Amino acid sequence: MEGVKVVELLTDALAFGWPFLALVVGVSLYRYAKEKDPEVKKNMTFNILIGVVASVMLLVAIVNYKDNFGTNDGKLPVSLVLITSLTFLMGVYFTNISALMKIGGFMFFVAAALSGYGNWLPQVEGGFPPPVVKLDFQSMSGQQLGDEGEKIIFGGIGQSKVQGAIGKGQCPLCHGFNQGFLSERAPNLWDVPARAEERLKHEKYHMNDPASRDTVQKEAFAGSGTATTGQEYIAESHSCPNCFVVPGFGVKGSNDTESPMPRIHKPPISLSIGEMAAVDTWMYVREGKEAPTYEDINASYEKFIPEADRPKASEGGDKAAGGVLATGEEPITDLFMAAGCPACHTIPGIKDAVGKVGPLLMEGSNAPKRIKDAGYKGKAKSTREYITESILSPSAYVVTDYPDNQMPKDFGKTLSAGAVNKIVNYLSRLQEGQDPPPIEDFN
Amino acid sequence: MGRLNDGQARKKFLAVAGLFAMGAMLVLPIFAALPAALAGGGGGSAGGPPPEVLAAQKAAAAAAAASGEGVEGEKVEVGRDVYYKTEGPVVGAPAPKTADTSEFYPRYNFESRVLLWVANQQHLYYGSFVLAVPIFCMCVEFAGMVSKDKAMAKKYDQLAYDFIKISLTAYSLTAILGGILIFTFLTLYPSFFGYLSSIFRPVMHIYALMFVAESGVLYIYYYGWDKMREGVMKWIHLSMCVVLNVIGTVLMFLANSWIAFMMSPAGVDEQGRYLGNIWHVLHTALWNPLNVHRILGNMAFGGGVVAAYAAYRFLSAKTDEERAHYDWMGYIAMSLGVAFLIPLPFAGYWLMREVYAYRQQMGITLMGGLLAWLFIIQATMIGILFLTTNYYLWQALGRMSGGERFQKYIKYFVFILVVGLLVFITPHTIVMTPAELKAMGGQQHPVLGNYGVMSAKNGGINAIIMTTIASFIWYQRGNKMPAVSWSSFGNIFLITFFVVAHVNNIWVACYGYFIPANVRIGLSIPQVAGTLSCLFIGTTINLMMLKGAKEIGPIQYGKIAPRSQYALIMLATAFTWMMGLMGYIRSSVRLFWHVNEIMRDNSPWAYTHTIGFAANVISFNVLFFWISIMFVFWLGTLGMKKAPVAVKEPVQAIPSAQPAGGS
Repeated sequence: MEGVKVVELLTDALAFGWPFLALVVGVSLYRYAKEKDPEVKKNMTFNILIGVVASVMLLVAIVNYKDNFGTNDGKLPVSLVLITSLTFLMGVYFTNISALMKIGGFMFFVAAALSGYGNWLPQVEGGFPPPVVKLDFQSMSGQQLGDEGEKIIFGGIGQSKVQGAIGKGQCPLCHGFNQGFLSERAPNLWDVPARAEERLKHEKYHMNDPASRDTVQKEAFAGSGTATTGQEYIAESHSCPNCFVVPGFGVKGSNDTESPMPRIHKPPISLSIGEMAAVDTWMYVREGKEAPTYEDINASYEKFIPEADRPKASEGGDKAAGGVLATGEEPITDLFMAAGCPACHTIPGIKDAVGKVGPLLMEGSNAPKRIKDAGYKGKAKSTREYITESILSPSAYVVTDYPDNQMPKDFGKTLSAGAVNKIVNYLSRLQEGQDPPPIEDFN
Repeated sequence: MGRLNDGQARKKFLAVAGLFAMGAMLVLPIFAALPAALAGGGGGSAGGPPPEVLAAQKAAAAAAAASGEGVEGEKVEVGRDVYYKTEGPVVGAPAPKTADTSEFYPRYNFESRVLLWVANQQHLYYGSFVLAVPIFCMCVEFAGMVSKDKAMAKKYDQLAYDFIKISLTAYSLTAILGGILIFTFLTLYPSFFGYLSSIFRPVMHIYALMFVAESGVLYIYYYGWDKMREGVMKWIHLSMCVVLNVIGTVLMFLANSWIAFMMSPAGVDEQGRYLGNIWHVLHTALWNPLNVHRILGNMAFGGGVVAAYAAYRFLSAKTDEERAHYDWMGYIAMSLGVAFLIPLPFAGYWLMREVYAYRQQMGITLMGGLLAWLFIIQATMIGILFLTTNYYLWQALGRMSGGERFQKYIKYFVFILVVGLLVFITPHTIVMTPAELKAMGGQQHPVLGNYGVMSAKNGGINAIIMTTIASFIWYQRGNKMPAVSWSSFGNIFLITFFVVAHVNNIWVACYGYFIPANVRIGLSIPQVAGTLSCLFIGTTINLMMLKGAKEIGPIQYGKIAPRSQYALIMLATAFTWMMGLMGYIRSSVRLFWHVNEIMRDNSPWAYTHTIGFAANVISFNVLFFWISIMFVFWLGTLGMKKAPVAVKEPVQAIPSAQPAGGS
């Protein structure tokens, strides 16, 4: 069979390149006939033979390349090997172009080897993107909801077994999902429905007693309370990762009082409650467990996410997660919430802004002192400039005893100019010993 | 300073006039661009404009809207910039919504994307080469001018001239390939090209004019070489090369802005409508990282091509003088190429960091998703480049008396390099199919998965780089014996320094297995610090020790083994292949978008090819380029009239002839 294929290839090559071959033979014979020296003629005879062989090899290589380009059946490198061989053959016998031929042959060899390496590795092809559809999570069955959850976590149905697969939720960036798999940055989520119940009994969880927690955030929002069921625990973990940190997985140096996980309903991930319900359902379904109803899951999230904070269901479209957080047209409280400032900062006058990760934002008083601080290396000359600089370039000056690189550095891109101005206006009016300015002035 | 005679005065006048003409050509595009810039508005600073500027822009946009309403009685629509989030008047049409029809995607009986890929890559190879070579030329001409040794000065001058001569022939081919690229683009992707050119219209004529300026300066520079050989005119000649490089760099930045816009669009609203601020369109999230990465990449690539040219001339040389000249030329070109290869990964790191900052998903697709295997190939290529560099340096020891002292240690270096490479290319987490996952029994390979952690990989590559630095130090010492009084101490210090750096590197690499991944990331700092210390402290101390060193024998250029030249060819081919690979990765990360998140690719080729297919096209591109550039080399030899200047002095006396790692 192979012999037949070789003959076929040879026939095709001659059919394709006979004019070229005729030209090579014709020119060679002409030069041979013109040559008078019998000694040179003797050498020429051999060289013409080599030249014809090399030409045929070249034609076979071209035809083979043409036939197998893009087929990935392993035959393409044959062309490169043929060309490598013919160049070295020519290099040996045609001394006037020896260097050129040998160099060419060597280059062909290197390219062939690299091409072979590329073909030897596992072949993965990126498919066409699926059409975008608007989803109604509420009317889905448990299995459908679970499938959507798998898509959100891993990017597609069945993708949970594919390593590196990742979806809009971006969970596999940190979490392992399968039994026994390595999960160094965040807990492995295998068996989480059962484990959630156990977590409620953990000595650091303090069920129904959030004030006793040693974490940077005691509750999802003031008065939200703690989870009392496994599903509520999952919902609380998504909407308030700081409320309970699994030992060993806290922010470095925080002694497990602060979680590195973002709030999932907030940018940049911004899953809607429906999407989070789908994710949770998949966690149950994939282990063969009965998932709570959509309504129960929805209620568990509503317990920990205040209404104003609830993201709208994804409208679909071609967008990736991300985008502008605030335009500046929102009321000031919403603006701070959208930017996520209260998660880390206490902001006088702003409800629920009681974060302790960053300093108290009494900027009307703080800014003049910090600009005069010997350690201040920023460029601000006024309070407004200082606040603007702190938002857009948080590392320009880091307040003593607070870690650098905690605050996002992309507010210059995620907040509009109007939003930044509004924040600066508000913060610059906060003075020690004075009441915060009326919130209505900023709505 | 003696009085200039008439001839000299006339030459000087012509030189100064030429320089002014060149300056005028340089600023012409800026003047030409003024109307568009004034109409288009200002720009933003790096990382996004400050709020005050944005507020002003917003007010201006509102005013424009208001005035439009008042004067013309119709409302001017205001759009929001997808990246800068500023508002501006909508002045462009939305990005076309294409469909798989001949209106949007006319085609031959072949995959249009591959045709465009080949046309683009060939233009890019030549473009890179002709932009990199004048930079070398500038360095080498300058080295010649400041050299106190007249013979060496002449030799450098001849080398710079040789460089620019090669570049000149390639320049025409670059222009031709540019034309082919535009025709291919226009023919196969008319709506896509139409959209991009509508966005970039305000700067397209600047691009064309810069090209004219580049050509003019290049020709004056080349043809004025002999006329401007002495005194002040030589300085003017060199300054022309500076101008040439400035124009070339601006030209490249403008070309880069197209690809940066396609990856991370800005200056348009969600529908892709141009908002009147051309600076936003140019200055996208990835523009500057791409610019820096490409400058360094071009230099490394240019060094590789010139080294290959030198190798070709060496192997085909008929006389010892010729062989000596091209041996030296190959060494200089290789050193320059490797010097720019070393910072290239740092520029790549910056680019990747910005990619993650722009869209995390894009970063994951690159490093941990669909395209991750290609980075395994890249790691292999980096290993090949370093191994080849070491091999060349060991071969180069053979052309100097005394170099044989080091031969017996090479086997140990080979061992470290090979082990380092194997560790470096061992994957930790890889993309797998479910069947593969099942067969492997988990996300990580049962054996290899334990080893491919980042600290160990860093350990591998740092061991390779440190060994390369040690090879450079050997090379510097090849034919010399230190004569300073503290030479014994210096030797012990150097050996101890390298041993401690290696022990630190290996210890940290192993320690990484026992700590969590997020802590492990920080280990790269002591590893890189050790390597950089070896680079700077090691080579500095070595150079200090070599002051007034006893020479065992001269460097005999031309006496290097011919196989060393294949190392240069290998370097050049690997550079070319890696450039094709990384270009493919950069382009394919857009997946099914012509312009990321703005204009979808609805052609039949909106999917990402397999690695094997990509590798085949890259190889085809590499070979096509080398066949054509060999033709260019051959053309260069046709015009060769004079033999290269023969100089027998050792090259180590010249600063720029020092190995790249030590400079």
